[in-house]
Amino acid sequence: MKTITFDQIKTSSIALEFDELIPDEIYSWTEADFAKYQVPIGNSRFPITDFFDITVEGEANGPEEVEMILNGDLNRVKYIGCKMSAGNIVCNSSVDLHVGAEMSGGSILVKGNAAAHAGREMSGGYLEIEGNTKEFTGASYIGEWRGMTGGQIVVGGNAGKQCGECLTGGRIHVKGNCDILAGIHMTKGLIEIDGDVNRWPGGQMKNGNIVIHGFLGRLLEGFVLNGIVVDPEVEGTTFKGKYIHYTGDIGLNGKGNLYLGAEANKEKLAEYGELDDEYTSIREYRNL
Amino acid sequence: MEYILKNGIVYDPANEINGEKMDVMFKDGLIVDNVSADAEVLDVTDKIVMPAGVDPHAHVAGPKLVVGRLYRPEDSRRGVTQKTKVLRSESGFSIPSCPATGYRYSRLGYGTVVEAAMPPLEAKHTHEEIATIPQLDIPAMPLFGNNWFVMEYAKDNNIEDIAAFVAAWLKISKGYGIKIVNPCGSEAWGWGMNVHGVNDKAPYFDVTSKEVIVALAKANEMLNLPHSIHIHPNDLGHPGNVPTTIETMDAVKGIKKGKGAAEVRDQVMHLTHLQFHSYLGNSWKDVTSGAEEVAKHFNKADNLTCDIGQVTFDETTTMTADAPMEYDLFKLSGLKWTNKDIECETAAGIIPCIYSKRSPVSTLQWAIGLELFLLIEDPWRVCLTTDHPNAGPFTRYPRIISWLMSNEKRQDMCDNEVHKWVHKRTLLPTLEREYDFYDIATITRAAPAKIYGFTDRGALTPGYRADIAVYDINPNDIDPSKQADEIEKGFNVADYTIKDGQILVKDKEIVKVKESQNIWVNVKGWEQNEQKVIDNIMPFFTQYYSVKWENYPVHDHYVSNPIRVDVDGK
Repeated sequence: MKTITFDQIKTSSIALEFDELIPDEIYSWTEADFAKYQVPIGNSRFPITDFFDITVEGEANGPEEVEMILNGDLNRVKYIGCKMSAGNIVCNSSVDLHVGAEMSGGSILVKGNAAAHAGREMSGGYLEIEGNTKEFTGASYIGEWRGMTGGQIVVGGNAGKQCGECLTGGRIHVKGNCDILAGIHMTKGLIEIDGDVNRWPGGQMKNGNIVIHGFLGRLLEGFVLNGIVVDPEVEGTTFKGKYIHYTGDIGLNGKGNLYLGAEANKEKLAEYGELDDEYTSIREYRNL
Repeated sequence: MEYILKNGIVYDPANEINGEKMDVMFKDGLIVDNVSADAEVLDVTDKIVMPAGVDPHAHVAGPKLVVGRLYRPEDSRRGVTQKTKVLRSESGFSIPSCPATGYRYSRLGYGTVVEAAMPPLEAKHTHEEIATIPQLDIPAMPLFGNNWFVMEYAKDNNIEDIAAFVAAWLKISKGYGIKIVNPCGSEAWGWGMNVHGVNDKAPYFDVTSKEVIVALAKANEMLNLPHSIHIHPNDLGHPGNVPTTIETMDAVKGIKKGKGAAEVRDQVMHLTHLQFHSYLGNSWKDVTSGAEEVAKHFNKADNLTCDIGQVTFDETTTMTADAPMEYDLFKLSGLKWTNKDIECETAAGIIPCIYSKRSPVSTLQWAIGLELFLLIEDPWRVCLTTDHPNAGPFTRYPRIISWLMSNEKRQDMCDNEVHKWVHKRTLLPTLEREYDFYDIATITRAAPAKIYGFTDRGALTPGYRADIAVYDINPNDIDPSKQADEIEKGFNVADYTIKDGQILVKDKEIVKVKESQNIWVNVKGWEQNEQKVIDNIMPFFTQYYSVKWENYPVHDHYVSNPIRVDVDGK
């Protein structure tokens, strides 16, 4: 096992780009190799040692035997773990754009917040962000219609707009709240949101599953009510409790599933009429 | 400077040189018979030497390219390279950036590429973009098939005024010839409709597609243009379009070829991307290959040429002035779609397209393209294209060459890689013909040059431009039918690409960047008729165009260093 520790000695106002510093590329590097390496910053390159003290301990025969530990203020370090296929990265700070983008394996732990495009188009591996993420978590990049296709993202805090946009596989679990248009254009996969969602989850979704345990502000009109389900099993996971089940987005003949926690959305249920005490009767809603 | 390419194995079909070991000499930008003892020797022993490639139909510059790049940023992320001391950075796969387009053609050994669709209203922009593409000579084909003035004249069978209009518009747009795309169909799209077959009328114009085709073909020959009409027929990509394709071919029966510049070529109609027009059946459920029927009809006619538009199994971008067809494709794929209307002239649609080996339809399209290559008997009448980027990017030409040269490779793909429709709905598995290097040189160099009436390229004739490609393939040491991958690799990057006597690629690396040149046709002898037509249409132009006439033409400063082809139109 090889541990590579980056201790920050200086920050940069322009972001450092770390996409070349992934376990796949540096598993065999020594401290001398790092001393020679120049990191891209804007349209130039500068010695990485101007910004980090780098310590290498142990040996690795492949990227899967590498752990990178990044210490300091990483708010201006982007593309951490971008395109990595194996190994572990631990960021002891908040990070800039594109953390874990296009990763296909390995794991990344961010002990802080992540800027936009966290886990963009990832196809495998595990990305955990203990704090909040900004826009486009696990989403596609601009213009692309295939977002995250595999792997798992866990956000400990809140997620920004268009989380899971064009999700084509994999799972995103947001433990906090989620901003608008979660799962827009998604075709596959699962987005689970523990907290509240203000508006429009699943817009133009064709397939896949969104589970919202908390309160939903506004639902798009392209979702039709299927009824109440108890302990639904979604992609191998059983969610305990009662959920309002919608299908959509019918504007695109979508067959996506949206599950809303019934308890947190009692008011929404009331829109459909009087319910029994247990609000478990599907028939009653259909009769409305 | 004088140079000798020493000991190469030369394929030059225009001069009937078929794999002869010989020297090729050039001086001051031109091929010559001999050079002095001071000439620099470039040792190309046992390497293939051919004239530089001529691509007769690609979409490399113009408004729809820009729209395509804007709405497909995901494509621009592919193929990114950093700038070097010689080159600018590159980006894009199916819609490369302008510099990347020039570099990639140059690496393939090409020297001339025809931009196949230029709306006259956007000609200025097209020429600005051409100026940004290095390494190539680029003629551009103005679109006439849905032009309001053309349709009005065609309705009245007023061939003389159409000819004058075309002569004027070639000057105005700095264009090379007459391009027709889905005649009357793109106009119909302005009303949310299309035309189906050559006898459908454009809404509100009371003129059929066939009338437009015939009128433009007659005008083309009346003007003695070096290229014939260049047509993308109606019903592209629709199952059951074979009758329309055959009726389009038959439409020009009996039309006599022009004189002068027109005598270089044999055809009076060039059908483009014929693969997309060779589908039998009534729907995508029962669609089958119509290649045999189309090729049979094509072989019998002596006044037609074509290019294929070979599908390459890539994720690409389709863009064409056949806007209604693009919308139909969008409804099939469900990805994303954009449209660009050009007032009074044409329209375009653009979508991403994934040609997959697992897809039955993609497989059928791939097979039909190859069937046409193998069933059309005369290589001088067929050209290698992918209708870049519509059926695939031009960078896949070497792969197509390897398919054409190796029956074994094709059979292997039919049996193991592509969808089973190839066996059920096409003839491809039964076709054993293989192209040789001479045929490849014909369909990529000699034939397209002849079809366009070029008299300065496409051959290694003394006095011609020194446009030459050298490939690191020893024909005496390779069996193309068994070494398809080596053939693809060998044609992927030229050892040398020489353009106008300048060495642009050396040892497979671009060593020099050259400014591109536009080639346009200047018809002489019609000036008075042109002015009369312009005077006649001016009230209409003022009423319906949103630009002023003074801002419409491509002024000289938009076309730096052009190659003007003067044609005696009388």
